[in-house]
Amino acid sequence: MLAFHLIPYAVAAWLFLCGLYGIVTSGHLVHTVISLVVLQTSTYVLLLAVGFRWGAVAPVFADISPGVVTVDPVVQALMLTDVVVEATVVALLLAMVVKVHEKAGTLSPDDLRMMRG
Amino acid sequence: MTTAPALPVAVPMLCAAFLAAVRKWLPRFFIDLVAVLAALFNLVLCLWLLHVSWSKSIVYWFGNWFPRGHMVVGIGFVIDPMGATLAVVAAFLTLLGLIYSSNSMESGKNHYQPLMLIFLAAMTGFCFTADLFNLFVFFELMSTAAFALCGLKTEEPSPLQGAFNFAVTNTVGAFFTLTGIGILYGATGALNMAQMGMLLGSRHDSLALTACLFIITGFLIKAAVFPFHFWLPDAHSVAPTPVCVLFSGLMVELGLFAILRVTSVIFGSSFAGAHDPLRSSFLVLGGTTAVWGGMMSFAEHHLKRVLAFSTISHSGLMLFAMGVGTPKAIAGWLIYVCGHAAVKSGLFFTAGILLHRLRTMSEPALFARGKGLKFTAVLWFLGGCGLAALPPFATSIGEDMVSQAKHGSLELACTAFFLVSGILTGGAVFRVFMRVFCGWGDRGPSDRAAQVDELPEMNEEHRTIPFRIFAPAAACVLAGIGLTFLPDLDSMLLDAAKRVLDRAGYIATVYAAPQNAGMAVGHHGLKIGTMIAHGIIAVACAWLLASWAVFHRSIPRRLRWPSHMEGSMRWVRQLQSGQPADYVAWAMAGVAALGGALFLMK
Repeated sequence: MLAFHLIPYAVAAWLFLCGLYGIVTSGHLVHTVISLVVLQTSTYVLLLAVGFRWGAVAPVFADISPGVVTVDPVVQALMLTDVVVEATVVALLLAMVVKVHEKAGTLSPDDLRMMRG
Repeated sequence: MTTAPALPVAVPMLCAAFLAAVRKWLPRFFIDLVAVLAALFNLVLCLWLLHVSWSKSIVYWFGNWFPRGHMVVGIGFVIDPMGATLAVVAAFLTLLGLIYSSNSMESGKNHYQPLMLIFLAAMTGFCFTADLFNLFVFFELMSTAAFALCGLKTEEPSPLQGAFNFAVTNTVGAFFTLTGIGILYGATGALNMAQMGMLLGSRHDSLALTACLFIITGFLIKAAVFPFHFWLPDAHSVAPTPVCVLFSGLMVELGLFAILRVTSVIFGSSFAGAHDPLRSSFLVLGGTTAVWGGMMSFAEHHLKRVLAFSTISHSGLMLFAMGVGTPKAIAGWLIYVCGHAAVKSGLFFTAGILLHRLRTMSEPALFARGKGLKFTAVLWFLGGCGLAALPPFATSIGEDMVSQAKHGSLELACTAFFLVSGILTGGAVFRVFMRVFCGWGDRGPSDRAAQVDELPEMNEEHRTIPFRIFAPAAACVLAGIGLTFLPDLDSMLLDAAKRVLDRAGYIATVYAAPQNAGMAVGHHGLKIGTMIAHGIIAVACAWLLASWAVFHRSIPRRLRWPSHMEGSMRWVRQLQSGQPADYVAWAMAGVAALGGALFLMK
């Protein structure tokens, strides 16, 4: 049982490392962006895991009495903000990738060598 | 007064939304006017907030959600003198940037003005906020606006590549910070920095250390500290001039400011003690960055890349000052940040003048073409002196205060790093001065990075330098000198620094608890003689180094070795590979090293 509640954290760490590995080994710009999304999902899992309580209900106090144990609504708000922020970044990055493809005709960072040195 | 602290964030955002919505139907002049007025409004308001915050830090709770007992329920701004000063710098640089680019950068095609205003709002909020998650949100808002501004010129692939590298590296950093915030929230159940610090107390177990490591990693990437810095030159060499000014002048330094705030308020007691692992790491990282950035700055031949690497070098010096960590060092840090912002912005604006008149940024291509530009040459030369910390530039006061902050071996190391960084970065600027404005020596070596050319920001060829382009450069250089002559500068700086480091005071401010008033501020006796001597030595050595590179053909072969620093450090420069994958890998190596150091010295 002790190990059971650690699973979400293990998943978060795994996703974090997967995302990082993807970015570090990436040879394709779209692949880089998608790896970034994987990295980002780890923060969702982490935030939700932090606020989760076994046997608690959703924090909507319309039909439950104030004393009932609920999961933490703050982390859910944080996660939602995170989704909004990162959707913006990913959209911007993908727009850049589209433009790069338009101008340079390639999506491999090896072929984009303007910045060397 | 009641809502005034929220206005410097709200007004630019509203103006940005307004401009973004109705931009197409407005005349160009009107768009510029609204943007300039919004920045001017911010400048005036932040100056007033700075004035008010001297006597007592301003606390503002959004929606009047005051703390209940020890529980902070709302999101708050705490405006202390240091945050307000940085907000003033942000407004000042944005104002100059908007004036510089008024009537250029064809407005119909991009969202330049709204993005600049969002950037300004985010930087201001970043300086003011007292909430850790809010700090992350402003950090990301600032970054996103910066990514878009960096890749504004989408006609060519190189700005897109620079912006892409910048965006990927910084976003990875942001996730590190967010993960750290999540861990810390799990440990304390709070998001307000004061409450977090109070609940964390002097805890320094693995969890607190990991959280600290993750949070500052994001800010170290933003602050372009070695080995987290690789994105910065790519972003700077392609961004439009006013955007470079904001990047180098303030955005990079705000990363350091966040580290300062977080380590003092949240982890202030965790790392207190005789051997503070965090400060020792800052000393090592800062010193390495200062030397590395300086060497790379001298090796480059693209004007904006030269300045970008010099920013890295100076960011290292600032981190070094944070590692010294006494109130005097932090006071020196603050004036160094302001002085550096003025000088570096002046240099970037001057580079913008060259781009405007001569339409390239490559040193070999510019050879001897700047001979007719007398005033521009003077500004460039003065900028070089400012980087080498020659009095009366404000950077020299920063150097003096940091060097005097601690006695013993640290004082010596500090003086040495300031000198080396000043000589290398000043030398690079003087070398450009000799080649471009005086036409001495030969063209010098070229390289691939120097050939990254951007389209000039104006459409038609210009034979004159309009006032709106020249004035910001001159204003920045003058500000760099003028800061030195502010009355009571030293005691104001010390006051601001003490209040940033005073953890108990910050917590008391947030909870509106009575404070032990009347902290003795004291004065700092500037060693004017030492300052002048250091400044002259640095400028003279920088000039010598520059002439060595420029006249290397007339020097006996055996004595030519210092000139090899120019451009031939191939194995080092290959690290700057232009691939985000490599940059992130380097940053991960940095995280591993920093984490190892923190855990081993725990």
